[in-house]
Amino acid sequence: MRLLIVEDDAPLATGLRRILEAEGHAVDVTSRGEQAVLAAAQERFDLVILDIGLPQMDGFEVLRRLRTASPDKNGPMPVLVLTARDAIDDRVRGLDLGADDYMVKPFAMPELTARVRALLRRSQAHGGPRIVHGPLALDTVARRAFLKNEPLELAAREWAVLEVLLGKVEKIVSKEAIIQAVAGWGDDLSPNAIEVYVSRLRSKLEPAGIKIRTVRGFGYMLEEYKGP
Amino acid sequence: MAARSLRAHLLQMLLPPIAALLVLGALVAYYPSLEPATTAYDQGLIDAGISLGTYIHTAEGGAYRLELPSAVDQVLRRDSYDSVYYRVLGPNGEAIAGDDGLPGPPPEREARDGFIAYDTAYKGQKIRAVAVPAKCGEAACSVVVAETTVKRKRMTRGILFSSLLPEILIAIATVLIVWFGVKRGLGPLARLSDEIKSRSPGDLRPIAAADTPEETRPLVSALNGLLDEVAQASRNQQRFLANAAHQLRTPLAGLQAHTELALSKRLPTEVRAELEQVHQATIRTARLANQLLALARAEPGARGNAAELNLKALAETEADAWVHQALARDVDLGFELDWAPVQGDAFLLREALGNLVHNAIEYSPRGARVTVRTGRNGTHSFLEVEDDGPGIPLPERERVLERFYRVPGTPGTGSGLGLAIVREIAAGHGATISITDAMGGLSGTRGCRVAITFPHG
Repeated sequence: MRLLIVEDDAPLATGLRRILEAEGHAVDVTSRGEQAVLAAAQERFDLVILDIGLPQMDGFEVLRRLRTASPDKNGPMPVLVLTARDAIDDRVRGLDLGADDYMVKPFAMPELTARVRALLRRSQAHGGPRIVHGPLALDTVARRAFLKNEPLELAAREWAVLEVLLGKVEKIVSKEAIIQAVAGWGDDLSPNAIEVYVSRLRSKLEPAGIKIRTVRGFGYMLEEYKGP
Repeated sequence: MAARSLRAHLLQMLLPPIAALLVLGALVAYYPSLEPATTAYDQGLIDAGISLGTYIHTAEGGAYRLELPSAVDQVLRRDSYDSVYYRVLGPNGEAIAGDDGLPGPPPEREARDGFIAYDTAYKGQKIRAVAVPAKCGEAACSVVVAETTVKRKRMTRGILFSSLLPEILIAIATVLIVWFGVKRGLGPLARLSDEIKSRSPGDLRPIAAADTPEETRPLVSALNGLLDEVAQASRNQQRFLANAAHQLRTPLAGLQAHTELALSKRLPTEVRAELEQVHQATIRTARLANQLLALARAEPGARGNAAELNLKALAETEADAWVHQALARDVDLGFELDWAPVQGDAFLLREALGNLVHNAIEYSPRGARVTVRTGRNGTHSFLEVEDDGPGIPLPERERVLERFYRVPGTPGTGSGLGLAIVREIAAGHGATISITDAMGGLSGTRGCRVAITFPHG
């Protein structure tokens, strides 16, 4: 994948570059917002990691220009914003500027790499018909699921719940959010019904090492696949 | 300088001139009215003297006698208040009749209209006397009539009282007017101080000058000037904090990135152990930097703007980060979130809640349950974090809220700032913080429940 890091702190930028290169990505680094806007206009990056506190043209402005630029045929470039958690913080948290995710400095590298993977996966799912999660693969066009290359039988609502969770790996999805996403399929759903679908999904997926964690009183989280 | 009451000051200025005016007024009213009254009484004595004179007769051999019928004597001497005396003197000053020893007029006094009125004493009492000329045949005699001064004194008192009474009433009225007038006059100032008192420390809006009286305008504008300066200083501090946050956190992020990168490499065991220490120290420093900045932001005057918030939504947006922290420590983090509206600063409340959750996760054993709750308790919104960890012993519960205090024997490497920040933030929102045992923990542990209850709203 092609990544662009926009960060003016040289040690942090190099650190990020090395970590992401170790993950197998091609990484470009710039310390200037203006250059980032230019670079993004010339070629497509699969993900932009953008620091808000840049000199001269700050991250907000870069983000605004990326979003107002002519839309790419592959949809908008995903942007992961880095913030130093200060007064401007609330604007970042709202994500209303069009960032796809944000991280507060300083952060643990495993968390960063996990977020990067999730964003990349999401943008691919956005563009492509195939969602892959460890040994699990969903063909969203043919509506067929495979586990370890074996066809996997999923009821319509199980499929819907799984699709919601796969869209937010390592993120908590509230029961309400699942109900909203699934309710389009028919009548009203109770939180208890969601529990039933999740428990069915678990019995099908857990043997293959795919874990859906319950967050008590809140919802569920599909964990990153860490092997069987 | 001791605080001076405006009332006392005004009274102090007003009362001496009022007292002086009072005395002057009394004198001015008293003396002019005293003389006609005295003259009227004297005239009574003169009339008595004249009529006494008509009873003088010339006896055989040139002697004079007073032939006074006893009925007349009785009428003359009858008086409701005073004793009346008289004495008749012959042409050569010899006593003819009447009360012996009644003093005659002082020799130096000249007669006015033929009479001499004078004050003297008789039988140990003050008396008023008049000497009236009388005819003893062809010779000139004199009659002295005198009376004690009881009714004159009564009259004097009456005149004095009637002239003083209005003055005293005026003085009392003045004191009352000053007393209540000052209170009424200072009413706008009292309202002004109420308005300032009711403000939250972060409210630095200028005071509206429109509804204050002309005289308080300079005070209001001086206050507004000060408020403006404080607000400016607060904005500068916010800007400084934002910069400091960025300047501190970015290099720390770099440091953390490089240590983690290095740790991912193949390393000699000793180097790995050292690097592990560096890594832990980096994480601790980062957290401490966050906490100090949060503490600085929680200071009165540095506070951002309060807004209508829902604690439930606040907890939901943070849940993601907390769940990952909890997973890393194998803690079962759960939520019981209900609608809980508050007026507050989102950044600070998030920080407070984050600190409580962090503490609960950090100091609970593996496998522990931590529950985050928000909701309404009657008309008060609350948030609380409950764990089934070791709990906080009763005597320590006040002290853990102090800065840099850690319960002795606590594992881990906390700074002791977390709860102090929570307390500071709670206080800034007018909220109360309570630490109690958990309601139902695993058997054998008491657990801990920290609740923040917000003011009615």
